[in-house]
Amino acid sequence: MPNPLNELLRQYLTVAIFAGLGLAMVGAMLGVGWLLRPDRPEPQKYINYESGVDPLGVMWSQSQIRYYVFALLFVLFDVEAVFIFPWATRLEAYGAFGLIEMAVFIFILALGLVYAWRKGVLRWV
Amino acid sequence: MTVLSVLAQLSGPPFESLPIDWHALAPEVVLLSVAVLITLVDSIGLERARPLMPGLAGLGLLGALIPVITLAVEGSDRVLFGGAYVVDDLSLLLKAVFLLSGYVIVLLSTNYIAEGDYWEGEYYNLLLFSLLGMVVMASARDLITIFVALELLSIPAYMLAAWRKGDRRSNEAGMKYLLMGVFASAVMLYGMSLVYGVTGTTLLEPIGLIFAEVGTASVITLGVIFVIIGFSFKVSAVPFHTWAPDTYEGAPTPVAAFLAVASKIAGFVALISLIYFGFLGQSDLIEPLLFILATLSMFVGNLIALRQTNIIRMLAYSGVAQAGFMLAPFAVAASDPETSLKAVVTYLVIYAAMNLGAFAVVIALARKTRSGEISSFGGAFQYAPALTVAMSVFLFSLAGIPPLGGWFAKFSVFAAVVNAGTTAGYVMAVIVAVNSVIALYYYAQVAKTMWMDPVPDGDMTPVGVPPSLGWAIVLTAALTLLFGVLPGLLGDVTDSFDLGHLELLAFPG
Amino acid sequence: MNGGVDAAYLVLGAVLFAIGAAGLLVRRNLLVMFMCVELMLNAVNVTFVAFASALGDIGGQVAVFFVLVVAASEVVVGLALIVAIMRRKPGATADDISLMKG
Repeated sequence: MPNPLNELLRQYLTVAIFAGLGLAMVGAMLGVGWLLRPDRPEPQKYINYESGVDPLGVMWSQSQIRYYVFALLFVLFDVEAVFIFPWATRLEAYGAFGLIEMAVFIFILALGLVYAWRKGVLRWV
Repeated sequence: MTVLSVLAQLSGPPFESLPIDWHALAPEVVLLSVAVLITLVDSIGLERARPLMPGLAGLGLLGALIPVITLAVEGSDRVLFGGAYVVDDLSLLLKAVFLLSGYVIVLLSTNYIAEGDYWEGEYYNLLLFSLLGMVVMASARDLITIFVALELLSIPAYMLAAWRKGDRRSNEAGMKYLLMGVFASAVMLYGMSLVYGVTGTTLLEPIGLIFAEVGTASVITLGVIFVIIGFSFKVSAVPFHTWAPDTYEGAPTPVAAFLAVASKIAGFVALISLIYFGFLGQSDLIEPLLFILATLSMFVGNLIALRQTNIIRMLAYSGVAQAGFMLAPFAVAASDPETSLKAVVTYLVIYAAMNLGAFAVVIALARKTRSGEISSFGGAFQYAPALTVAMSVFLFSLAGIPPLGGWFAKFSVFAAVVNAGTTAGYVMAVIVAVNSVIALYYYAQVAKTMWMDPVPDGDMTPVGVPPSLGWAIVLTAALTLLFGVLPGLLGDVTDSFDLGHLELLAFPG
Repeated sequence: MNGGVDAAYLVLGAVLFAIGAAGLLVRRNLLVMFMCVELMLNAVNVTFVAFASALGDIGGQVAVFFVLVVAASEVVVGLALIVAIMRRKPGATADDISLMKG
């Protein structure tokens, strides 16, 4: 007869395994990077990272208008994910029908990205 | 126990694939496919693909008309998605109106957009998506479906209104339309949330049955008023019309035609679904509300149209007044549901033909005059007699002169309000008659300028009408005459509507 | 009827909606006007979810999904329009978009 406490701990074991895997993956990636990258320290590299812009001057400077386009694209694609979450919770139950439906949905979304790319919206100039 | 099997247990009973009637959805599927195809061709071909776009869009719209015709020939009503989506004769007629209006808009846009150095692929893509929303709206019998269809048709329209990106007037047109539009949809949504809260469903059919049973309640009143106000913005009924003249003037003229015809009809289609399939039981509320909206729209629209000097603004205000005429039968919606519904649909169909025609002639004449002022069209008869005759047909049809289509439209509305036999109906009949006379004055004024006045700059070179524009004018003029000479054609179609449920909603028990 | 619904949620929704509507009509800054629209739409969401949970019906929650997505689309179009207007006239307010008078 299974002990309910054991059962609870066993469920938390899954969480622990996931957490461990996550940490191991991050560690492995940083470690591999540390092993492979060239090591040439420069003072500029120690400045805080600010999306590629020098963090100098007052904070209330105007930001580039080209961030705007990326922000707009991000908001759209971000919110569309709201339809994918409920679908994902019942992925197995929906079967092939659900898979094809979602493929069509993502195809149309991806088409928007292809369009933006071909029209040069994603180019950083 | 594996994680996956736990998830499978959590996800409940197995899902049964919905039976989907692909034939009933074929018009929407064709339209969506063509819109996606346009984006694809535009993304791959870039500049080289530009000349293909109008043809692709036009063919797509005519292609979507084929399943509409096969469905109409087959004739059986199809109910999809648990009653949220209904394909019957009423919705098929409205779908055909949207698709044909869209086709005419493509014809009007072909040269205007190609010569204006605008983005072409995007223009037709947005146009098709907006039309897809309208086609969905024609079948929607569910609050959420109506909302999604409304937004699908509105959001591309905001962008189309601001199409001339470098022009501040076009930006302003888009901004005003957007602000008014989102405000209206928020108001409408709040109304919908209240209706949902009271009835516990978003389907119009059960809402209709519940509303017919329960009588009045303050929450219902608030919900219904908010929903109807939301759509009053869309159909530009007074006092929610203020965006229309500015937006039409600033937007590219084919887009103004699109907003004045297709978008306005879509608003009416939503009102038809909501009122005749949902809110009919609340007759004490909707009849006076729509009586006020219709009366204000007719008087304010007509009186302001009298003093307009710009033809687009005049058509905008005349469109406000026309919306009033179309709202008039709603004022007797519950007293005589069947006749008033048929009158609204008849008016919508004929309005599409004659108003599109008027915009088409304005676009053709403006190619020469480069101005929207009515005075600049003076003496058009001397250098463009065919266009002047066509414009006269459309203007007198809008005014309701026999034997043109507009006459039958006005007659249907008049007959419907008289037929209801209520005091409000008789008063409305008088208001409709008075306003028909006021409207005749400013329509005739434009015709007089075109026939009688001297040419302002003495330039008598004929107007070069491109073939697509000419075909659009011929098509709309032929339909305007046809509906006037043979009104029975449209009457036969409206008589085939299956409206058995109306009695149940209007007169319960 | 709506027996189980907690009135507090509905009052919250109504108040948020009223604040949003008043803000949209009173404020002149275009960005603030868009924020007011968001407020109105989220008031609708609160109302829908309150009713859906009281009724035990999934319909209201489905509606919220669509409202969220539509609100994002509307705001993206609106922001793009604001950028277009600001390029012509920096610092424009609602009073500046009045070349044409209704």
